[in-house]
Formats: sequence, structure tokens, C-alpha cells
Amino acid sequence: MYMSKQMKRIFLGILAGMLLLTGCGADSGTGREEEPRESQNTEGKAEEQEKQEITRVPGGQIRILSGSENQELETIIQECSEATGVEIQMEYKGSVDIMRELENGAPDYDAVWPASSIWVSMGDTGHLIKHSQSISMTPVVFGIRESLAEKLGFVGEKVSVNDILTAIRDGEMSFCMTSATQSNSGASAYIGFLYALLGKQEGLTSEDLQKPDLQADIRELLSGVERSSGSSDWLKDMFLEGDYDAMVNYECLIIDANQQLEAEGKEPLYVVYPYDGLSIADSPLGYVDHGDAEKEEAFLAVQEYLLSDKAQAEIEATGRRINAGGVSKENQDVFNSDWGIDTERILSPIQMPEAAVLTEALNVYQTSFKKPSLNIYCLDFSGSMSGTGEEQLKEAMAQILLQENARKNFLQANAGEVNEVVFFDDTILDVQAAADDSDEALAELNQKVADFQIAGGTDIYRAAAEALEIASGYDLTNYTPAIILMTDGRSNYNYSNFEEVWNRYEEDIPIFSITFGDADPGQLEELAKISGGRVFDGTKDLTAAFRSVKGYN
Amino acid sequence: MKKKIIGLILLVCVMGVIGGIYLLTGGTGELGEEKRTEGQQVTKTKPATQVSGYIGGEKVGFLEDEEVLEILRNEYGLDVDYSKAGSLDMMTADLSGRNYLFPSSSIALEYYEELHGTPKQSEIILNTPIVLYTHKIVLDAFEQQGLITKDGEVNYIDMNQLVAMIQNDTKWADIGVPELYGSVSVDTTDPAKSNSGNMFAALLADVLNGGQTLTPEGVGEILPQLQAIFGKLGYMETSSADLFDQFLRMGVGATPVAAGYESQIIEYAQMNPEAYEKIKDDVVILYPAPTVWSAHVLIAIDESGQTLLKGLQDETVQELAWKKHGFRTGSAGTSQGETEVTGIADSITQVAQVPSYEVMRQIIEGLQ
Repeated sequence: MYMSKQMKRIFLGILAGMLLLTGCGADSGTGREEEPRESQNTEGKAEEQEKQEITRVPGGQIRILSGSENQELETIIQECSEATGVEIQMEYKGSVDIMRELENGAPDYDAVWPASSIWVSMGDTGHLIKHSQSISMTPVVFGIRESLAEKLGFVGEKVSVNDILTAIRDGEMSFCMTSATQSNSGASAYIGFLYALLGKQEGLTSEDLQKPDLQADIRELLSGVERSSGSSDWLKDMFLEGDYDAMVNYECLIIDANQQLEAEGKEPLYVVYPYDGLSIADSPLGYVDHGDAEKEEAFLAVQEYLLSDKAQAEIEATGRRINAGGVSKENQDVFNSDWGIDTERILSPIQMPEAAVLTEALNVYQTSFKKPSLNIYCLDFSGSMSGTGEEQLKEAMAQILLQENARKNFLQANAGEVNEVVFFDDTILDVQAAADDSDEALAELNQKVADFQIAGGTDIYRAAAEALEIASGYDLTNYTPAIILMTDGRSNYNYSNFEEVWNRYEEDIPIFSITFGDADPGQLEELAKISGGRVFDGTKDLTAAFRSVKGYN
Repeated sequence: MKKKIIGLILLVCVMGVIGGIYLLTGGTGELGEEKRTEGQQVTKTKPATQVSGYIGGEKVGFLEDEEVLEILRNEYGLDVDYSKAGSLDMMTADLSGRNYLFPSSSIALEYYEELHGTPKQSEIILNTPIVLYTHKIVLDAFEQQGLITKDGEVNYIDMNQLVAMIQNDTKWADIGVPELYGSVSVDTTDPAKSNSGNMFAALLADVLNGGQTLTPEGVGEILPQLQAIFGKLGYMETSSADLFDQFLRMGVGATPVAAGYESQIIEYAQMNPEAYEKIKDDVVILYPAPTVWSAHVLIAIDESGQTLLKGLQDETVQELAWKKHGFRTGSAGTSQGETEVTGIADSITQVAQVPSYEVMRQIIEGLQ
């Protein structure tokens, strides 16, 4: 693991020399193409090459399953691909999904790169991960509108989670965070909240989670969550689009958000490091061993590149920390101290609970602590859905509504959750609601979906407007609402009708769309933009797309 | 540096000659038949036997060492493949297609024997004591509290006092390190899954038992105390290598004190001399007084595993194990490798006995 390239080369170089002497005629090829320079027969030259030399594996291909926060590194990954000759396919998922994928052997991936190594250790039950190395670090922090942070007395002070909770309780601040059951930043923050509310510093137990006081406190706190999201990077984007007080996110993404806010002449966020609720994401990149030596070689070249001084400096320039001792001079500006960013302090994170307690904590978050979800599914039952489309749609709904399926992905319905289904073509065909949040009621609703028959044309706007009207019938401050629109076709363009309804209700409800078949993403993007929603591609894996959407509320 | 490289050249020279002789006489085919595959290592016409098994993470560096692999390939005809697993975890893993197991304790061997019967062969290949890794500011605080005895640059920590601190929920702030959040504790790997955590539990059991090796009769009294100590640790890594990586990478805030193997810092320094240079003023090795030995046993499941066992006992391999990877073998006590690590004890004298398998099994079950 610690085999430095330099040592290896020195050795191989010498070995090459020696084998020539002994007449074996071998050379020093390691199977990798060494980028620069001459032969390595002498120690001097071998030493000269230093560790900055880049290993090339032309024709190499690896697929990396990565946390969404690494989307910010795409340029560096592109450079890495060019430098190493390895084609890198990135696929982004939440950390919990990455853990699940690993539990299932991650057959479609050669590497995983979640936000924190805890998801690797928890998911790697088959011992597939090799060469896992932290690429960068970033703490999970609160970013609070500067003027509000000032008003709350957080600027330049030691702030505890309880100080923040008080501000939330007093209605002085609301915030956005990712779903604790889908994303590492949300999970880390949530565990920090639990410790703070319990007044404990370590050793969270299963009994703690049953305490009525804690349950009441955490529900109250999570009721202050204005918007949730399945991924940290999208949370940042949503924050930038909307008008919110604060978000819990990675320091590096707050830096990124602030750069954009300042560029637009807007107020930046002030970074607060709650001393009793801090955690660090260590961004481990690990190889998934499916026994393919060429993939392993390609992986190692990529990892070596990302850990090279050059790439590390570039990674640091994106606001990620590359060493615990502080930030290098040239990147000091990125970590702007005016934003409250403190590179001098020792980052002393809270303790993650043991695996069984963590799993339980995530389960109760999903089922009873978080704000209840209000889901209005708009399902396209137009003629073009006939056949595979219809089958897949029904299968995907069964993954969400049948609780034995949902439980596997921490997507089970929570207490007080509302689920309604709008069946549409170019008319509203029917509207059905689950009677309550019970497994039986949801199974009944699922049966209605399963039995529904395909009809005529397509009008997504009418369906979305209908969903909006239904949602407005609820007191939405008590829910995390979402309209989930699933469609396969190009719709009649009736945007103005929808817009009229949207403006009438003035609700903050995201419209998430899942595309299928030849749906027009342009039309759906428009709905996402006005509502702060998002479009998911369901063409490859409809069920996975549904699951991602569900992770957003 | 230069001198040592020349030493290395000589070493390789000898190996090269041996390799040459082997090729000439070893019946693997004539020299002329040796062929080069595009972009690959020299392959002999007769392919090496592939051996595959589970190893504790702390031995990854050793089994990826090209020098070690060359010897195993050229002199023992082996291509070594491995998967990483905790020493105890590997015993219950799927062993089909595996030729060997290389856990980090003799307890694991006894566990193997209970589950699978007597192996083809087993031998202790490497030894390394359990140490505590920490940082300068923590050392200073411990020193002030009177926990540290110095012998030159070697630091010993009094386990009785440390255990008392942990049991009393002493906060870091109470001993003068307010920068650190929470209570004084030692991060270990999961004692139910990985050996370094397991050996640390064995050490704690001994300390809690007044320095006497714990017997089956005494478990009832000691186990609740162990459960209380480990219960406070929360999430535990399952691999000693991962824990050590984290210790180095994430700084004193994340991992103030970590239990690990002495070999880990020595290997790190040999493999990453420049990186070691940067951290050596901050990273501190504490030898628990007393400590326990971790005995790395090779369990050969079949004949090719047996060949590997023989290969690992090879004198040169054993020397590489100490000089480059820090495992105490017959060569230990001789000079260190290229990069001298500060604070390494010449010999390990204060050693507690690891309790019997019977007792350890009860402890493991109790800590699950």
C-alpha cells in the first residue's frame, strides 16, 4: 500500500541493470508505460525521476461510482484521464447508495469514491475493496447568511450545535440539509444533532434513540429543515437558486457557493464549525477487486495521479483540504477567512456510532424523525406507455410503495407521510390517495397503480397543475412536499396554464421529473427550474431514478 | 542514501545471480524459451502457480513488495494474490479457491482450527508488538500527567493510569488539550473483526485483571469493564491499515490516539521517506507497558499455501520483512532499514501474555 513509486522504480531500474548483467535479457517494464525520459539503469537517474512521474495505462478504462461532491473535480479528472491514458467513467450517487452497491458486490464498477470511508467499511462485506486512499478532506459545516450569522452572534465565536438549535427553535433561522439516509453530509450532521441533543460526547446507543425527550427534540429540529436533497452538490445548486438562510454542507461546497454568490454580488455564507458536532469527509478512493489485473493497473495509475503533488494542489484549489496540518500558501486565498473559514483550528470530529446503532439511527430518521413527506406522483398513462413502459413504471412504483422493498434503501414511508397518485394522459384520468402511512394503505395504493389501464395523449402541465392544487390543500409547513412527474412522451405545450396555477398558489414545491422513452427534457427542465426541482434520467434504470427522487424528500 | 542504494544493488545482484542460477538449473525451461510479453513482466514458459488468500491489511505493503514477490516468483514459483480481511473475519469468509490465510494472531489460528480443523501447516512468520500512535500535543499532556516513562527517545506509557483515565471519562480538556473534543480514548479496530483491536482488548483485559493473564473464571468480572471501554468508542474501523492511514491523514483532531502495530510506522517511513520526514516531529510512538505481541501466522490450506509458507520463511524475505516493513523477525534488533524511525525500541521486554483462545472467544463474543 505504501509502496512508493520512487522505491519501486529504483528497484526495478536496478533490477533491469542486474538482469542484463546476469544475461537474462529482461527489462524493467512494469506493464505500465512510463511517460518521460530515458532508461532507468542507474540509481542517479532513477532518483532524478522523482515521484511526479506519471504512470500511463493507454487503453485502460475504469468506472468509478462516486459521491456527488466530486462533480466539482471533473476538470481534474479529465486531466487525469489525459495524463494517464485511462478512460474514466464517473457515475454519481449518494453515499448510502454506494454502500448498498458495495454490499451487492458493485458488479458494474471498478472503483468507489464516496464522501467518507465509513460507507466503505460498512458496505464492503465481501472484502472487495483494495488500495483505498483518502484523496482529500473536508469538514461538514453550517453555512449561514453572513448578516444572519452576525445577528446570531456566531461570527468569530465558538459555536455549539445547541447554539444553532436555539436559533432554529426561536424561529430565527431555517436551514437546508441533505437527507441523512441518502447522503453523507446529511447523515454526519444528523448524528451531530443527536449527540448535542443528548448532551453526550460519544457512545450513542440504541437506548438513546428510544428516549422520548430526544425524539421530541430531534423532530422539532428537523421541522426547521426547509428543503432536503439526496445529494450535497445539488443542495448547493438549490441553495443558490432559492432564498434560504443556511445550509449544512461540506466546507468545499460552501466555498464554491460563496465564489458564485460573490460573483453575483450577493451576500456570502459564513462558515460555522460547531465544536460538538463536526465531522470530516475523507473522500476515500478504493478499487473494487473483480479480479481484472488490467483494471487494477488502470485504477492505480489514476489514484497515483490524483495523489500527485500537481493534482493535489489543484484539488486543494477547489476548497478541499489535502493535509490535516493546514492549507498551502498558494491556496490560502481560496479558504477565505472573511467567510469564517478557519484552516488553523484542529478539526476534532464527533464520533460516528457503531454500525448497528448507525443503521438504526438512519432508520428512525427515515420513519419517524424527519418531516413527513408529501408525495404527489403524476403518472403518465398515455397510449405510448403501453407495453414495457407501463410494466417498468408499475415495477418502479412497487419499489417505493411496497414497504418491504423501500426499507432496503432507507426509503420507507415516514410517520404522517402523504402519498397521492395522479393518473394522467392529456386529461386527469383519476386521483388516488393512500389512506394513511401504513404498509397496508401503501400496498393498496400500489395495487391501484398496478391495475390501472393505459389511455390516450399526453399533457404533463395539466397533471402538474392538478398535483399543485392537491398539495395546496395541505398545510405544507408540516411536510417536505414534492411533485414527482413521470412521463415518456412529448407533451402538448400548455405551460401557460400551469404557470397560472403555479402563480396562484405561491407554494415552494419542487417538481421532480423522471424521463422515460423520448420525453422532452426541455419541457421538464422548465418545470424543474420554476419550482427548484430536478430532472432525472429514467431511461436506463427507472427504478433507480425513482429511488433518487424519493431521496430528495 | 547512496551507500544504501549500493547495498541494495548488491542485494539485488545476489538475487539476480540466484535467479540466474535458478533459471539455468531450475528446470523451468531453458533461457532461450523465456519470452517477453508486450508491456509485461518477464514471463517464463511455465507459468507460476497462483496462490490466493486473505491477509490482514497491515501486511498489504509486505505482499505487494516487488522484491518479496520476485523471490516468491523466481525461487518458489508463486504468484501471490490476496484479499484484505480482518484476522477473525477471514476465518468465517468463503474459503473456496483460497490457498492460504495470513491473519495476525495465534488466536485466529485456534479459531480456524475450531471451524475448519487442523490446517495443512501453520507457522508464525512475523511478529510485531501493539503500540499506540499519537501526536506531540497528546504526548506532552500525557507526560504532564505522569503517564510517560522515557528511555532515550523511546516512550513507554503506563497502561494502568491510561485505563483509569478512560474509565473515569477524563476529558481531553481536563488534561490540558482543549483543542480536542470529547474524552480520552484509544481508537482501535473492531476487536470482533480485526486483530489489532482484538490484541488491544487482550492487553486491556490483562491490565484490568491487575496484570495477571485472564482466566476463564475471571472473564465474568472483567468483561463488563471491557464492554464499557469499547462501548464508548462508537464506530470502529475493521482494518488496522485503514485506521493507521486515517491516523496519519486526518490529524490529531480526528484520531488523537490509535492502537496499531509497531511495524506500520516503520513500513510507512521506508516506503514514503519524504512524507515521513514531514510528520516525524509530530507523530509519536508509545509502547504500552506492558504490551502484547501480535504473531502473524501463515495458515496453509493446501500444498501451494505450504509452498508460500516456505517462501515467506526465506532468509532474504525475512530480512526484507524487518528492514522494509517493520516486522520483527530473526533479523530484528539489527539495524533499521534505509529510513531510521525515531523512537523505536531496540527490544520488546515488557510483554503481557495474551489470554487463551477460550477466554478471547468470550471477550470477542462479549464485545460483538
